[in-house]
Amino acid sequence: MEQITKTFQAGEVPGIITIDAHRCKGCDTCKRHCATKAISGMFGAVHTIDAAKCINCGQCLINCPFGAPYETVDAVNTVVSKLKDPNTTVVGIIAPAVRVAIGEEFGMPPGSLATRRMYGAMHKAGFKIFDNNYAADLTIMEEGTEFIHRVRAAVFGDEIPGHKPGPLPQFTSCCPAWVRYVELNYPSLIPHLSSAKSPQQMAGAVAKTYGAAKVWSVRPANVYTVGVMPCTAKKFEASRPEFRSAFAHASKEQGDGSGTPYPDIDAVLTTRDLARLLKEMGIDLAKTPEAADESILAQYSGAGTIFGNTGGVMEAAVRTVHAVLTGEELAPLEFKPVRGLKGVKTASVTLLDTKFKKEATVNVAVVHGLRENITPVLDEILSGRSPYHFIEVMNCPGGCINGGGQPIPAVGSGWLGAMSPLLAWK
Amino acid sequence: MSAEEYQYIENPMSVSRREFLSISGALIALTALPAAVVRRMAVKRNDYIRARTAGLYKDDTNAKVRVSHANQGVSRLYQDFLGNPLSEVSEELLHTRYIDRSRAMA
Repeated sequence: MEQITKTFQAGEVPGIITIDAHRCKGCDTCKRHCATKAISGMFGAVHTIDAAKCINCGQCLINCPFGAPYETVDAVNTVVSKLKDPNTTVVGIIAPAVRVAIGEEFGMPPGSLATRRMYGAMHKAGFKIFDNNYAADLTIMEEGTEFIHRVRAAVFGDEIPGHKPGPLPQFTSCCPAWVRYVELNYPSLIPHLSSAKSPQQMAGAVAKTYGAAKVWSVRPANVYTVGVMPCTAKKFEASRPEFRSAFAHASKEQGDGSGTPYPDIDAVLTTRDLARLLKEMGIDLAKTPEAADESILAQYSGAGTIFGNTGGVMEAAVRTVHAVLTGEELAPLEFKPVRGLKGVKTASVTLLDTKFKKEATVNVAVVHGLRENITPVLDEILSGRSPYHFIEVMNCPGGCINGGGQPIPAVGSGWLGAMSPLLAWK
Repeated sequence: MSAEEYQYIENPMSVSRREFLSISGALIALTALPAAVVRRMAVKRNDYIRARTAGLYKDDTNAKVRVSHANQGVSRLYQDFLGNPLSEVSEELLHTRYIDRSRAMA
């Protein structure tokens, strides 16, 4: 059994978000965005975050009208010094949601797709590109296959030697805030979480094995992986001690466990952090010409890119599961019922399993905005009444595109919510 | 007769019903105007969410390859290195375990 102190394993960052007492006005806005009731403090008094309960999502940070919450981990200076070191291969792992938001920090309109400008700017800064959309596609292959195994075991009694499929419904495991939420509050549901790592962690493990050997031809220890994420919880995820699998793999291959263990992901920059880094290096994203990246680790599909939206992981999974089971592509590819901002979205797909020549109806659900929407869905599972087989969960309302690491729109107006009962037209 | 001297006092509120209504209307309009501006600030966050969401869906629509299993780069990775999804190497590098943190909560 691991040693756990105050809900943290050894080596983990004990709390990513904390509140600046001088800036906090005690307005209670943050409490209305917190999914775990981790924030305490009377109305009007300075608020504090209980790190043991906090899932590091950063919603308090992006919604505070006074900018009081801040991140305890800031890797910008470390990454800049690594970029200047000629012996280090610095790999930038760009998450889907970053490319439609980072432009806002450089005066571009919200929603501008800046993938190719980011490639250009990051090449100039000295990064090798690993598009995390590639890892998202990889996640679908692993998580989708895992789901097919679970369904075939539950519906057809299919067994794979040496594999014990987990229970249904299967939860997605891409969102590190959601994973910590389950670990903290619903430990009995842990077997329902997909065992697949999040795309960031898959990217790190692939970069320091296959990437180092086949793509960049360098030693894994000289690869420095930087997750560029719309998310503050990713900083926590990267520090989890189990995510040293590239090192473990290399030690096993060489037959010795000597050498200094290196993490799969060395540093995480939020969208805001990367914008600050580029500005410090004198690179203006809006003026950078678009560039392509030829690396195979920068190839991605449309299914990988929509991971940043609520419903996107589910839509990508349905596209692939449909093709694997029925042998035909989903038509049309747009799976509309899981799109949009409704709190809980549900859909059913009937698939003809070509292996068993039988039909299976798969019920899926998509949840975002944990605070408002998750409890009823989990209660259904605990009481054995859940009709679902596959559930996508993202903590932040709208998905990663509204994550805690994203640019903060100039208007901080969350506190208006408290006044809404007084407003005649609401 | 009153001992006090007569003094003319103008009634400060001598407004007609019609005047009173129009003055009130103007006052209400003046208070509602900033409130409407404030309300627009509140919904602006939703506009950001919608714009970013649309940006990603546009990236999907414009993509040549739109399904994960057709990503050539991922297929190469399986051919050259991992084998299949859920292979031994995949399990080692791409899968993880979770821990029960609930007992440390109290």
